[in-house]
Amino acid sequence: MSLLTTNPTATDLVAARAINLTKIYGRGDTEVRALDGIDVEFHQGQFTAIMGPSGSGKSTLMHCLAGLDRITSGSIVIGGTDLTALNERRLTLLRRDRIGFVFQAFNLVPTLTALENITLPMDLAGTKPDPAWLDTVIDTVGLRDRMTHRPSELSGGQQQRVAVARALAGRPELIFADEPTGNLDSTTGAEILSFMRRAVREMEQTIIMVTHDPVAASYADRVVFLVDGTIVDDLVDPTADSVLDAMKRLGN
Amino acid sequence: MLKLTFRNLAANKARFVMTTFAVVLGVGFVVASFVLSDGLRSSFGDLSDEITVGTDLQVRPVSDFGEPPPLDQDLVDRIASLDGIEVVAGFVSADDNAMQPVKPDGTTISSAGPPQLTFSWVADQGLGSFALVEGTAPDEPREFAMDIDGAEANGFVVGGSYDLVTPIGVVKDATLTATTRFGSDNSTLGAVLMHVSLGEAQRLFGSPGTVDEIGIRLAPDADATAVAAAISGIIPDSGVEIVDQATLNSEQKADFNQGINIIGNVLLGFAIVSLFVSIFIIYNTFSIVLGQRVREMGLLRALGADSRQIRRTVLGEALLVGLFASLIGLIAGVGIARGLIALFEALGASLPDAPTIVALRTVILALVLGVGVTVVSSLVPARAAAGIAPIAALRDGARLGSQSSRRRSLTGAALIGVGLMFGVYGLANPPGTTLALVAVLGLAASLVFVGVSLASHMLARPVARVLGWPIAAGMGTAGRLARENASRNPRRTATTGAALMIGLSLVSTVLIIGESVKSRLGDLLETSVQADYLIVDDSEAGVTSDLAAELAATGQFSAVTGFRYDEARLSGTVSEVVAADLTSLGRLLSLDVRSGAIPSDEAGDVVLLHMDQADELGVVVGDVVPAEFATGTTIDLTVAAIFADDTVIGSPIVPNAVFDSAGSADVHQWVAAALADGMDPDLAQPLIDQIQQRYPQVSIDSAAEFQARFEASIDSALAVVNALLALAVVIALIGIANTLALSVHERTRELGLLRAVGMTRRQVRRMVRWEAALVAMFGAMLGVALGVVFGWGAVTALPVNFADTVTIPIRRITVLVVVAAGAGLLAAWLPARRAGRLDVLKAISHT
Ligand SMILES: Nc1ncnc2c1ncn2[C@@H]1O[C@H](COP(=O)(O)OP(=O)(O)O)[C@@H](O)[C@H]1O
Ligand SMILES: [Mg+2]
Repeated sequence: MSLLTTNPTATDLVAARAINLTKIYGRGDTEVRALDGIDVEFHQGQFTAIMGPSGSGKSTLMHCLAGLDRITSGSIVIGGTDLTALNERRLTLLRRDRIGFVFQAFNLVPTLTALENITLPMDLAGTKPDPAWLDTVIDTVGLRDRMTHRPSELSGGQQQRVAVARALAGRPELIFADEPTGNLDSTTGAEILSFMRRAVREMEQTIIMVTHDPVAASYADRVVFLVDGTIVDDLVDPTADSVLDAMKRLGN
Repeated sequence: MLKLTFRNLAANKARFVMTTFAVVLGVGFVVASFVLSDGLRSSFGDLSDEITVGTDLQVRPVSDFGEPPPLDQDLVDRIASLDGIEVVAGFVSADDNAMQPVKPDGTTISSAGPPQLTFSWVADQGLGSFALVEGTAPDEPREFAMDIDGAEANGFVVGGSYDLVTPIGVVKDATLTATTRFGSDNSTLGAVLMHVSLGEAQRLFGSPGTVDEIGIRLAPDADATAVAAAISGIIPDSGVEIVDQATLNSEQKADFNQGINIIGNVLLGFAIVSLFVSIFIIYNTFSIVLGQRVREMGLLRALGADSRQIRRTVLGEALLVGLFASLIGLIAGVGIARGLIALFEALGASLPDAPTIVALRTVILALVLGVGVTVVSSLVPARAAAGIAPIAALRDGARLGSQSSRRRSLTGAALIGVGLMFGVYGLANPPGTTLALVAVLGLAASLVFVGVSLASHMLARPVARVLGWPIAAGMGTAGRLARENASRNPRRTATTGAALMIGLSLVSTVLIIGESVKSRLGDLLETSVQADYLIVDDSEAGVTSDLAAELAATGQFSAVTGFRYDEARLSGTVSEVVAADLTSLGRLLSLDVRSGAIPSDEAGDVVLLHMDQADELGVVVGDVVPAEFATGTTIDLTVAAIFADDTVIGSPIVPNAVFDSAGSADVHQWVAAALADGMDPDLAQPLIDQIQQRYPQVSIDSAAEFQARFEASIDSALAVVNALLALAVVIALIGIANTLALSVHERTRELGLLRAVGMTRRQVRRMVRWEAALVAMFGAMLGVALGVVFGWGAVTALPVNFADTVTIPIRRITVLVVVAAGAGLLAAWLPARRAGRLDVLKAISHT
């Protein structure tokens, strides 16, 4: 399986790397090997999708890479920082300063306006957002006239766009998205996905997205397939069809 | 459905624990007040039996008013010669603190605490209730005995020689001849009990040849009625009565019970305030918990439960919670009662061993109050839950239906209006008894409290925004979110704050009354008192007129007079009467004479009347008013002047000679003195010090010192009341902690999100704590605002001599609000910690 982690463009820098990553839940009889010795690299400026059947360990992998969950063994390096060496506080600061998140639902703090939600990580850090960059991000998500609205006054799609804008606003090294379009209709979903792709292409962002939707995966530059906690396939420049083919192959 | 009730409780255990705690505290204090007073009543009943058991009959002077003259000592011998008498003895007892022994360290025992009581020694233990522990009974002048605990606590040893401060001055080098025991276990309540010989008691506190009462024990075969009839044959026709043991016993018990009832009722009052506060907390808990279970309720409705069943489930939960809390409260109350007794003992009151009596009425009341408060508080949430539609099961974000904001505010305003009207009416037409007045004002205040808590949700958002502004500005995002959170649920903030409001409004009312009384006193001293020195006896006994005479004899004072107090019947109505040296009076007090003039001291039988009393009696200057004294003497007094300023004295004032001829005691309750013109106060000081040394029981104060001492005594009274109100405040703080814990639970996902995008644990904790501080400050400010209204009402209702204008102690009240905010921060410590420790991943996936 390790042969599948080859670097598509060797000159690219590694944004995140997992080395022999194992995550075990429970003990004894109830032990679940959610991740079973994963070696993988994610490259800067790439949009990577993680796919796999339900329960294959996609979310667990993402949570471990993002420093939201502790790993059982192996190591994770984000931009040269070994996560296993960090304490809880350092991990929090790393998430705040160097990582962006988009979740499937409940992405926004209901008491804050759209704009306040976008600048939240920077406000928490007590740093000022770069105004030019913030303008670019807001214009790209196209919600300038909604910036003073609260989440309850926004549609689901608008909320996800604000979430993506938040993830981009701090110019993080890495953005994680867990089924960002899972709760949206296909048109709105497509809008969010192409927006994410533009962020990678035009703004040189790095995105790792968990999805089980082949169409969503086709927006990515690369698709990594997980089954039972191990990486079983790795597609470069996927299309919806090639992803479906790969899924069928794995299904057998 | 009952099964469901149990399941729900089990599932929401943690959320109900704090609610339970509030009820437990309230019920606990109610129970404690009953257990304590029942126990004390029983043991003091035993004590009364012990005191009176040896006395079959007692002969004592009586009068309808005033102090009756003592009995002739010859009467003792005359009774002794009658048939059927085994023992008879005359008693003389001193007023509280009249005699104060000087401890080996040179100080006297504080007269602020339990009293120091002195009696004449009666050898017969049945009549006297005292037994010798060590030494021999005091027999000669300058000999005394003391109860064993008082002696031990204050370092007196038998055979030692000590100075005694007495009404006639200091008795030097008196010998402690014995230690004694009162009853079987010397239950003195902390009082120091002393004895001197009968002759010495007459010399120090009474007059030679007289006794205050005569105790009699009958021969074994004598008939009490026959002996009483024989005694009435030899006593004067009026002014003396014979009472039997049963009467003495019930008088003694009534005397003790009066004190016990005061303690019990005060405790009960504060316990009820606390229970009232818990209503808000329980209401809040049920509202929030049910709000979180809307979908579950909707599902039940969809599955066929009707709204009555839902309502019953909720009320069933309340009933169980109430029952559980009341039972715990019952047990806690017994513990609290024991704790209070231990506290009293630690403060120096030695109480008789009180049995723990949990009367049936205590149990019933605990259950009724605890269950009642809980069920009543859950009525509104239960109705809201019953109104949940089946569709709520399917809808995301369905909310508990509730009264419209407008209706709620209107209801609140109406309650406030009715409450205030009630209060004003009660103050303007005070009902006869204190209890009725307290009940009316309590009801009025309760209506206002509920009204404000209903209406104040309108204020919660704007106030939280204004108060939260500095927090948001200074505290970064955590501060801003704290402010948002405090204003996102205005009703929750309002109800939680209202619980704190109650305690703080009462505290600030008390502070405002105290401050207004103090400032009024300052004004009065300035306008109505010209004396340079006020000499006040710290005991109730008063001092000998020698003190004033000695001051006057120094020649350094332009005016000196002592003030004597007695009662007399003036044209049929009993009134307090004051005697003073009229020649000096005008230079010491401003009486503001409206007609006539203050005559010289040799003016004869004259009286100065306050204008109100002159109106009542229908007399003018020159008219004659007959005054009948307790001694039976009647003296015709000519009205010499009518005065308007009743600040210091509003009673009729007569020259000393009138009291002398009426046979009133020659004892000064206080003395006023003015320095001679041009006399330097610094030069007078050695004189003052000399007098002070001779009469250690008085305080000689300049007007400023007098004011300071009076203010200090007001402050310490305020401190006691506020310490008791602290219970209500503590319960409100538990309420804040509870609401915050429930809110944290409700916002689990939001907290998870914040943590995921980089909020540190410290920032989370800070956010929760400052939200609590804002809620607390909101409640505190509402409380202070209400306190100002209540304080204004109280000051207006008080007699103008106590207080006339509302004075607000701004500094203390600011401190109060700041302390409340600090306490809010502290109360949120646990919920904040829990919020900080949330597992980010679990929180994100929480539904
Ligand atoms: N907190 C947990 N405790 C125990 N087992 C877990 C936990 N979280 C996930 N798992 C298990 O780990 C495996 C991978 O789960 P997950 O990463 O959520 O899969 P996916 O996101 O691909 O559906 C599953 O078998 C799941 O049951
Ligand atoms: Mg998943």
